[in-house]
Amino acid sequence: MHSLLQKFGRLLVIWLPLGWLGIFFMLPLVEMVNVSLSEARRAVPPYNPAFQIGKDGISFQPVVDNYLLIYEYWEDYLWPAVNSVRLAFFSTLYCLLFAYPMAWWIARSNKSLQHILLVLILMPFWTSSLLRMYALIGLLNPNGVINDFLIWAGITVTPIQMMQTDFSIYSGMILTYLPLMILPLYASLVRLDNSVLEAAADLGAKNWDIFRTIILPLSMPGVIAGCLLVFIPAVGEFVIPALLGGPEQLMLGKVIWTEFFRNRDWPVAAAIAIILIAIIILPIVYARYQDKESIS
Amino acid sequence: MERSNLFLITGVIAAGLVVFFNFDTSNTQKSQVAEIEGELNIYNWSDYIAEDTIANFEAETGVRVTYDLYDSNEVLEAKMLAGSSGYDLVVPTADFLARGREAGAYQDMDLSKIPNASNQDPEIQDQANKMVGSASAGLVYMWGSTGIAYNEAMIAERLGDDAPTDSWSLILNPENAAKLEDCGIAILDAPTDVLPNVMTYLGYPGTSTDKAHFEAAGDALSAIRPYLRYINSSQSINDIANGDICAAIMWSGDAFQAAYRAEDAENGHVIDYYIPDEGTNLWFDVMAIPADAKNIDNAYKFVDYMMRADVAAENVNYVWYASGNKAAKPDIDPDILSHPGIYPTEKAKEKLFVTPVYDAKTDRIVTRVWNRFSAGN
Amino acid sequence: MTPFIRIQNISKKFGKLLAVDDVSFNLERGELFSLLGPSGCGKTTLLRMLAGFEKPSEGYIEIDGQNMANVDPADRPVNIMFQSYALFPHMSVSNNIAYGLKRASLPSDEIKARVEELLRLVHLSGMGARKPSTLSGGQRQRVALARALARRPKLLLLDEPLAALDKKLRSETQFELVNIQEQLGTTFIVVTHDQEEAMTLSTRIGVMDNGKLVQTATPNEIYEKPETRFVADFVGDISFLEATVIERTGKYWLMEAATPIYAIGSSTLTSGMKVSLAIRPEKITLTSQSTGHLNEFPVEIEDWAFYGAGTQYKVIGPDGIKLKVYQSHNQPSHANPRHLETGFVHFSPDATIILEG
Ligand SMILES: Nc1ncnc2c1ncn2[C@@H]1O[C@H](COP(=O)(O)OP(=O)(O)OP(=O)(O)O)[C@@H](O)[C@H]1O
Ligand SMILES: [Mg+2]
Repeated sequence: MHSLLQKFGRLLVIWLPLGWLGIFFMLPLVEMVNVSLSEARRAVPPYNPAFQIGKDGISFQPVVDNYLLIYEYWEDYLWPAVNSVRLAFFSTLYCLLFAYPMAWWIARSNKSLQHILLVLILMPFWTSSLLRMYALIGLLNPNGVINDFLIWAGITVTPIQMMQTDFSIYSGMILTYLPLMILPLYASLVRLDNSVLEAAADLGAKNWDIFRTIILPLSMPGVIAGCLLVFIPAVGEFVIPALLGGPEQLMLGKVIWTEFFRNRDWPVAAAIAIILIAIIILPIVYARYQDKESIS
Repeated sequence: MERSNLFLITGVIAAGLVVFFNFDTSNTQKSQVAEIEGELNIYNWSDYIAEDTIANFEAETGVRVTYDLYDSNEVLEAKMLAGSSGYDLVVPTADFLARGREAGAYQDMDLSKIPNASNQDPEIQDQANKMVGSASAGLVYMWGSTGIAYNEAMIAERLGDDAPTDSWSLILNPENAAKLEDCGIAILDAPTDVLPNVMTYLGYPGTSTDKAHFEAAGDALSAIRPYLRYINSSQSINDIANGDICAAIMWSGDAFQAAYRAEDAENGHVIDYYIPDEGTNLWFDVMAIPADAKNIDNAYKFVDYMMRADVAAENVNYVWYASGNKAAKPDIDPDILSHPGIYPTEKAKEKLFVTPVYDAKTDRIVTRVWNRFSAGN
Repeated sequence: MTPFIRIQNISKKFGKLLAVDDVSFNLERGELFSLLGPSGCGKTTLLRMLAGFEKPSEGYIEIDGQNMANVDPADRPVNIMFQSYALFPHMSVSNNIAYGLKRASLPSDEIKARVEELLRLVHLSGMGARKPSTLSGGQRQRVALARALARRPKLLLLDEPLAALDKKLRSETQFELVNIQEQLGTTFIVVTHDQEEAMTLSTRIGVMDNGKLVQTATPNEIYEKPETRFVADFVGDISFLEATVIERTGKYWLMEAATPIYAIGSSTLTSGMKVSLAIRPEKITLTSQSTGHLNEFPVEIEDWAFYGAGTQYKVIGPDGIKLKVYQSHNQPSHANPRHLETGFVHFSPDATIILEG
């Protein structure tokens, strides 16, 4: 009886996470592939599912028109994709540059302070990201807090245009994504044994050398995890550039949004998302997987 | 080490849950009353009803109302097309309603169950019915136009006294736009409300579905694109009220909201709104019942309540949009009734038009033209 | 001539805690000096000051005539081998060893040759490409040693280098360490709290207690002539008898410690003085019959333990005085003394150590 329970417990431990992944990750993905192979129509739902289990049994009638349409108008999708990748790339880079010293500082402070700082890092998640963006607008506006201060302090006479610039866009991106970068970096940096750093110093390495040859390579798993955690959602981001940026920021996320909401073409929206996953995200995940394989 | 990892994971999961649950809850307001005569789930635009209307309705009928808000037709439409939204009454704009009906997302309204329907302005309701293609799709709640809101002093300073504050050319003429670049121009991120008007400015009919006309409109927009601060529907109300931008293509009600905010803030900015002489498109927001609504009787009760002359007038006085309700006019603030930007003059009415409901192919053309314009290529 | 390494009045305070308290000693070139002491007495802290990781609160360190006060760890002619080895986990064995050489910007073929040489020295030839995680504890320890030796430091510091090894590997490695040290002629300071290890390795030992350096001497002196009760007790087994000086009788002093005892001692003693008499277990002989030797008295055997090469006894003498006695098994004259329940012990007056105060 007892061992049966244990066996059940073990099965639960293995299958619960798998089931979770299956239900909340794989199923939506499969459904998205299904939608991308369906035909759009004016109905509820606004597509004719390619794969269907209905009264007359199971049917599967995929159409590739949605992909062909994207292929035909590839220029309309390529430039937003380039914009998105550029935005995601620089957001990731800036997050990394800001997060690294912060994560280092947190990892090197004493244990109780570490926990407080980590809670503070997570704090922004308790307010909606949209609210935080409006708070940022309140800071950066021509008559916002920062400009008011600069004018009051006599540093500038006319307000500095900070909104609708790269500066405001990346401020918003960093504000939103920084915690996702800090946490994995922190996790890899606390693991760093102080005596290893001292050994390097003892063997003649100066600060920059220690960073380059010891700290950075040893924190690489954290760097990679952090970059993925920021890059992947940033590729799909469009609300932040729309709120904070000027007119030149057409993002792939917005293109998917317009396919979905304006053209009411759910299948094409799904097809773009699938292509995005196939072109940008799968290779990253695959390379990461290869990396892991070769290490172990 | 193990412990701090655990801490980290818990933190990330907690954060994830917070983000996840934050999404949709913020818009929900729940009201409670003692005796419950069933429920009613309403999904309406934000800032689109007088503050005490719902409470008064609940007190009068005993129906418990759940009142949720959206701020774009697209979001509403996606919910309707996905089905099982759980709402009993929604307020789509006429063209969205037309498409929704085509998809089978809405049911017909039985006007005999709404005694106050007789208060409706037949002229307005007919135009909406024409657009939707049915006389029993629903009742117009508010209607309005798309025009230009501007900061009087800033425009005068840059364009002089003969600034064309009666024409689309204030923004659409590149020479003017260049002069206004420094004080800030914004355009609605709503292609179906902007492109037809650019077409009228260019001399084409605003009701055209000709691909060439759309493309010409896109080119005209691209010509002023270098001078635009942004393309965004939600931000310009605040920005024009604060003097951060000086001219914007806006919806009438938004423009008056901005004017009101500027007045309230006493920041010295005077905002005005006009319907350009070239003409503009009208839109109608229609109270309609989703196909799968559960509390249909209460939905009728609510529509009937909203159609009462005094209730309709209170709402107009609060939101500053023109009402579909003719009987309400005596109770409406004279400032509103006499404003040509809200209730257009007879002469202006001649140039107003109603855009046809585009088919899927036209949707795609409109979107492509718009995306190319906003992407700058 | 000034000494090669001079450590003068060094102290280190952590807040209120005085971790190292006014330590001074000198080292000659090529010495193998052991720092011995109980846990927490300040050994590591002293090493860390020598390596430059901690700044002394007070005092002065000089290596080969150079004041170390403002010299970075990276620039000191000192290398340290950490107790945890602190190998770089992401680098191969060769790269670990080459790390210090690369910092010195040596030409790459020179580095290669030196790494090969060091691998041979620590018997790891052919393992250069391995990652530290694939090595055994003893192999890692040797990589750490090779890495610390690579830059030919003037002074090599080893913090409990052998603590992680099992007993057999440990004694083998002890000899190897001595070999390498003699081969290279480098000056070593080895921290340990294992007194046997200190005895085996060192030319000299410094015993620390509570931040203070209480005695510095050769292993033999430390063992045979401890200067304080702490040193006597810490290094090897020993028994103490509380005694009162009675008088000088020729070469020895007569004492009273429940039974009269003759002991060897300095001329500073005076009659009536209270002293501790210390005696090492192996200096005491246990017999079943009285033999009539000097310093003989009857005892009861309380307990014994067999150690293979010998047997350790706990005996109780007159007035309850307790002694530890060690009898090596190469003395067949005392056939089976361990079956005794009573017997006699005696020891030479020359084997006694008198500790004042
Ligand atoms: N960074 C520090 N801050 C505060 N106190 C410290 C610090 N480093 C060491 N100490 C304290 O100084 C004293 C000496 O420590 P040290 O590490 O030198 O002892 P040790 O002789 O090496 O002990 P062990 O044999 O256990 O390694 C201890 O009481 C220790 O707690
Ligand atoms: Mg130590």
